[in-house]
Amino acid sequence: MINVEHLHYSYKIGKKGKKSTVPVLKDVNLEVGKGEIVSIVGRSGSGKSTLLNLLSGYITADSGKITINDRDVTNLSEKEWAKFRLEHFGFIFQNYELIPSLTAFENVELPLTLKGVPRKQREERTQILLESIGLSAHEDHYPNELSGGQQQRVSIARALITEPDIIFADEPTGSLDSETEEDVLKLIKDLNKNRNITFLMITHDQEVAAIADRTLKIHDGKMNQERGVYFEAR
Amino acid sequence: MKLVDQLGFVKRNMKKNKLRIFMTVLATTMGCSFLIVLASIGFGLQNSLMEEASSHQPLTQITVNGKMIDETYHEVTEEDLATIGATENVSAVVPQSRIYSHSEVTLEDEFRASVEGIITNFEAEKNSNFRLSEGEFPENENEIIVGYHLHEVLNKFDRTTLEYITTGDSNEELVSYDSNLLGKIVTFSFMDDSSETVFTDEYKIVGIADEPARDWVQDRSVYIGDERREDLLSLAGQEDFYNNVTAHVASVDQTEGVTNALKEEGFMVYSISEELRGINVFFTAFKAGLIFVGTIAVLIASIGIFNTMTMAVTERTHEIGIMKALGANPSVIKRMFLFESASIGLLGSLFGVAIAYGVSIAANFFIPLILEATTNSEGIDITFSYIPLQLVLIATGISVTVACISGFRPAAKATNVNVLSALRREA
Repeated sequence: MINVEHLHYSYKIGKKGKKSTVPVLKDVNLEVGKGEIVSIVGRSGSGKSTLLNLLSGYITADSGKITINDRDVTNLSEKEWAKFRLEHFGFIFQNYELIPSLTAFENVELPLTLKGVPRKQREERTQILLESIGLSAHEDHYPNELSGGQQQRVSIARALITEPDIIFADEPTGSLDSETEEDVLKLIKDLNKNRNITFLMITHDQEVAAIADRTLKIHDGKMNQERGVYFEAR
Repeated sequence: MKLVDQLGFVKRNMKKNKLRIFMTVLATTMGCSFLIVLASIGFGLQNSLMEEASSHQPLTQITVNGKMIDETYHEVTEEDLATIGATENVSAVVPQSRIYSHSEVTLEDEFRASVEGIITNFEAEKNSNFRLSEGEFPENENEIIVGYHLHEVLNKFDRTTLEYITTGDSNEELVSYDSNLLGKIVTFSFMDDSSETVFTDEYKIVGIADEPARDWVQDRSVYIGDERREDLLSLAGQEDFYNNVTAHVASVDQTEGVTNALKEEGFMVYSISEELRGINVFFTAFKAGLIFVGTIAVLIASIGIFNTMTMAVTERTHEIGIMKALGANPSVIKRMFLFESASIGLLGSLFGVAIAYGVSIAANFFIPLILEATTNSEGIDITFSYIPLQLVLIATGISVTVACISGFRPAAKATNVNVLSALRREA
């Protein structure tokens, strides 16, 4: 499903003429199978978010190869990445990243709108999903009228609406209290089980890592385990 | 993303910043209406001038004079009339000879008027669309058509003294004939150079010519058939030639072609369309100049559009970042911003057109009144401002194009929003 080989990435810093590079990821290898929940842990600045950004196509690797769903996506153009993301990925962000001027319903509906799904069809799908996730009572609420947990549920619903193969979650419970965190994690686990969605989660929270099938650790830009090997089995 | 959804986003975003959008649309409205009103002066004055020019002579009429051969002028001959008549698209040729001697019409030995005697061919006049206000064209030698104002100039006179009789009141006005002239028998006469009456004959008025297009023209003509043309001209001491020959065409489009064909034949030709062509060339340049000046106002308004769109992109960076992160196509984001700036241009031009029409109507109403008041003259009939559909389309096109160009850079900026920077900013 996701295959990363010898991935290198460096940040360019400094002004023109005094530019220097800071290596962030060094020869990272990773393999994630269909229906797995994989968590990546590491300290701040270890490169875990950079890895997620590379896998999402937000930045481009210096070298190495990324294959997702048997397609080499390493050098896709911005336009091709946009299409690929819309087709295959769902995203859950730490800060939910909902559009403030759209209601919960419209936020969830957004990926379908971007895909060009006809209005009637997308409204039906959004309605069903919101009901299944327990948010139909709040569908007309704007993000600032929802609690953190509700906002993250909306964010999860938005990630699910296109029925993606993979969901990337960046600190999915980072902004939630412990009770809400438990709810969200349960929801992720259920979705994985019932819909066979692959989850790749970035976290430094042991509770989150605990729901993963396996957890990989990044330290100073290096994945300290060989690909596919359990770092910490549940 | 479907077009209707893109437009939905544009509408929602515009609603979010009503005041700012309103002010930008207002600036565009002012620019566009200024452009239209300014150019409408060119269109209005051109129309007034064209109307004025074409009131002298119908656009479908071509005046044909003789030929200049070896620096000698040759009058139009019978042969020439045949040549003119045979020219393609010529529907009628009207040969007229004016009697230059003093001519008079007397009615019932009681009313008398000085008239202009014109010898013409009624069949040709009929074909040339000569219009009668009443009656019909003569069919006999002693039937005539008279000018529309003849009854006004037929004044009562004393048979013994031959002096005109006045009303007798303080106004001392002449007494005009106040009945219909149609069917009346009149005596037409003219004198020679020594004021001797050389011709007198009775004629029946069977038709009255249409009222002249220009208000101040007084038509006191008497149209006589050309059956006795040679005799009449001889008695008047005139040479036998046509001094007013007009060729007529069915439509205005044919005037230029016929004019050129007759020129090639060597005739000295004049048609109002020739004069109008010169006027048109001048006014085309004039209107282009006015549109150019008006466009500057739209360009100034475009600075507002640029600012508004740049602010919109800055404000919506986070939203753009989210959309791109989820998989929005960069070109769709660019298009939505271009739609927004084009909408501002379109709204501005719609309101601008409406305002320009209002200003134009007001200008056409008030300016003649002001001119009448300041120049102490009456009946000033001038179209100061005229807005044709083509001007509306040109102004709308300019406004929308300028708005799109203004929105292009902000839209490109939106396309290049970095997803990570946009999301991190709000974190």
